[in-house]
Amino acid sequence: MKNQGKTLLQRDGTKTVLASLLSIVIGLVVGSLLVLLVGLFSDNLGLSSAWEGIRLIFFGILSTGRSAVGNLTWGFNPQSIGNMLFRATPLILTGLSVSVAFKTGLFNIGAPGQYLMGTMTTLAIALGIPSSALPGPVIWLLAFLGGMLAGGLWGCIPGLVKAFLNINEVLACIMTNWIAANLVTWFFDATKVFQNTVENTKSSYVYKTAYGRTLVDGTWTYVDGNGVQTAKLGLDKLFPGSQVNAGILIAILIAVGVYILMTKTTLGYQLKACGANRHAARYAGINDKRNIVLSMAIAGALAGAGAALYYLSGNTEFYWHTYQTLPATGFNGIPVALLAANNPIGVIFTGCFMSMLNIVGLQLTNLTAYNEYITDVIISVIVYLSAFSLLIKMLLSARKKDKPEQAAADTPAEDGPAGEASAEKGGEQA
Amino acid sequence: MTAENVIEMLHITKEFPGIIANDDITLQLRRGEIHALLGENGAGKSTLMSVLFGLYQPEKGVIKKNGQEVKIHDPNDATALGIGMVHQHFKLIEVFTVLDNIILGAETTKMGFLQKREARAKVEALSQRYGLKVDLDARVEDITVGMQQRVEILKMLYRDNEILIFDEPTAVLTPQEIDELMATMKEFAKEGKSILFISHKLNEIMAVSDRVTVLRKGKCVGTVDTKDTDKQSLSNMMVGRPVQLEVTKAPAQPGAPVLEVRDLCVPSKIHKKNAVNHVSFEARAGEILCIAGIDGNGQTELVYGLTGLEKSSGGTVTLCGEDISHASIRHRGNNMSHIPEDRHKHGLVLDFSLEQNLVLQRFNEKQFQTHGFINRGAVREYAGQLIEQYDVRSGQGPVTTARSMSGGNQQKAIIAREVDREKPLIVAVQPTRGLDVGAIEYIHSQLVAERDKGRAVLLVSLELDEVMSLSDRILVMYEGEIVGELDPKQTTVQELGLYMAGAKRMDENGKEEKGA
Repeated sequence: MKNQGKTLLQRDGTKTVLASLLSIVIGLVVGSLLVLLVGLFSDNLGLSSAWEGIRLIFFGILSTGRSAVGNLTWGFNPQSIGNMLFRATPLILTGLSVSVAFKTGLFNIGAPGQYLMGTMTTLAIALGIPSSALPGPVIWLLAFLGGMLAGGLWGCIPGLVKAFLNINEVLACIMTNWIAANLVTWFFDATKVFQNTVENTKSSYVYKTAYGRTLVDGTWTYVDGNGVQTAKLGLDKLFPGSQVNAGILIAILIAVGVYILMTKTTLGYQLKACGANRHAARYAGINDKRNIVLSMAIAGALAGAGAALYYLSGNTEFYWHTYQTLPATGFNGIPVALLAANNPIGVIFTGCFMSMLNIVGLQLTNLTAYNEYITDVIISVIVYLSAFSLLIKMLLSARKKDKPEQAAADTPAEDGPAGEASAEKGGEQA
Repeated sequence: MTAENVIEMLHITKEFPGIIANDDITLQLRRGEIHALLGENGAGKSTLMSVLFGLYQPEKGVIKKNGQEVKIHDPNDATALGIGMVHQHFKLIEVFTVLDNIILGAETTKMGFLQKREARAKVEALSQRYGLKVDLDARVEDITVGMQQRVEILKMLYRDNEILIFDEPTAVLTPQEIDELMATMKEFAKEGKSILFISHKLNEIMAVSDRVTVLRKGKCVGTVDTKDTDKQSLSNMMVGRPVQLEVTKAPAQPGAPVLEVRDLCVPSKIHKKNAVNHVSFEARAGEILCIAGIDGNGQTELVYGLTGLEKSSGGTVTLCGEDISHASIRHRGNNMSHIPEDRHKHGLVLDFSLEQNLVLQRFNEKQFQTHGFINRGAVREYAGQLIEQYDVRSGQGPVTTARSMSGGNQQKAIIAREVDREKPLIVAVQPTRGLDVGAIEYIHSQLVAERDKGRAVLLVSLELDEVMSLSDRILVMYEGEIVGELDPKQTTVQELGLYMAGAKRMDENGKEEKGA
């Protein structure tokens, strides 16, 4: 109905997707140019290495290493793809976090802080409960829910401040981010028990959740394999050698859940109404303050869930000296959401794309003399462009307007209804 | 001077998908004349002016200035040709000062630095010469709509425009401001500037214009000399059928009080005093009670206080026997519907579809949701029903984005929604603002019908005609207080005007006091 009489190319959704794809392509091209420039002006690289680098940027996910003669080989690489899915898991959730807030008209730049609070709580629960006290899956579930709850509560703070004191949520988010960063460091520093002392080659790491709190000879110690890990559900068979687990499936389920929440429920309707026009929402008796807090709480819980799924995998370690750096996963939720135009289903794909760039960076480091930071440049270009995606969309529309027969299909959205009936009755142009 | 055409728009045709907005329209504007362009919403007036202003390119037809064919690709071309336009919705930057807004885009600079002093002198001179009072250093967001419009006019004058387009300039003005504007327009015309005046208010057209071109459904019905015509024939030309200009209604049969307001105070956002100062009145079932007054005398705040959009600082509001002085907006909505003053700010979520807007208060009701999931089928069915019943026209029916609908139909949608909620009290704030004769006729008849169903209608209006013809009882607000209660059958517009201007007031017993 909505797009009656429009071809696929003229639909609004198509334009959004095209704009995002265009941002991605431009980002990759800029990355390639950088690779080319670095290659040309570097002694130990050359045009051929540059060509390899460029191919890796575009198809790195399909790289299988080098052949005996030193040529790049290509094919299905289950390890890369599995790792991509694993790393996409938290990105999808922080992306959802940003997009939910955005639909309510809030910019959740506080995902890193919410992510950290989620991490802390998840780890504290997973490592704090003795493995003999409860069955593993129960501990897992408690840790997961605890992470969500902590993220949610942390998200509430900017929400409350915004709703009741009318302080910009961006400011409050930035502050809560750094408070979280310091709080987490303090917590692991002060509690000591969670610090990994078994593998003493490492400092400032917390135990992986694969370690379980166990009573050995009257003292509590951490024993590898006694802890909790997210179930693999056979995904490890599908992508051997990778870290993938059921977390990605949970992330996808949550994304679908968020989509349903935002489009099908009265709560989503209220959240969106507040975002689109807070005054009208208030006029209609919708409690705008409650919805602002709620939206930030949901956003925080999603970021917390991302952290929980990432660290509950069992084989990821948390570096607890966070007071100087905020987790990139939190911030990367912003481009993930922007690229997906805040569509929860789109976030699944853009989350995967972002983690793919991550893998590409690793491939660059492993297979060539380039380093992985090239992909950071690509990500930043894409972030810039995705912020401009509205502009790109407008350009896409404008290009079509030059052609008269297509102009016909574009204008009604702005200039008034166009149905035959309304034309007969006098139309609405003025 | 008579036949000298400054601007000629010859055989202009502009098509939009599925609709011909302008069909072979010819309009000739003479030097020094005020030429009114009359037509209903959707007749193509704004489109035609947008073509002249370079916002649209016509498919067919030519535009001539002083006999020379010109191409107007964008508003910059129009400005270069001396064409200026005051849009219906002002194009001002709210956080900029008045002066900054006026010079924006035409700044005088010296080596890249703004030369505001020269600009200020020029603007001040213009402002004085035409009596266009503005506060150059105030921010636009802080000044009244009337002053904003004067800013827009000064913008045109600052650019030395010779051809001035006014798109529905009076829709937002008070009666006094309208008179001032009319005088200014005549002054311009006397100086040889040419004015295109878009309107559908017949009084104003009769009062100020030299000639009228009437559009209907994108076609030109004809151009007539104002002195050879009258209101009735103009409105018949515009609508294409005989129109009723007066509201017909039976005498009111007031019943029990529905709304009782005692000593209500609402603080002002602008100054420290109360915007609504100890106001008491009651609205009875089956009557249309009108709050009249010049814009900015506390009517808006009174409505905010009644509907809960703003917290009251004193007094009580009793609705259907229940004290709602401190109730939530939603709770008040149980017995009250509200047609808001600002349909874009409060009335609609513009980015939502029409059907979503039609259930803005009701989405939580049982028929529209099950366990928190919106029952889309029911919403669509209900929307379809309202659209049908209230004749809300839109491009794609229930799924049309509210933003893409015309002002008149947006308002009809709000009225459909509010009236259909069937609450004992309807608060209607300027329900016909900016609408054409046909739509006004319709909305007035709806409000009368609701009254006759035994509902209390609280009408807030700035338009004297509307106040006089529609209401059963008039309360006049002046500086946050009710200064008089009048019977429309026994009072005159002049008397009403005196109360509105604060020159007359009544004491508590309804007796006239000496001028305040």
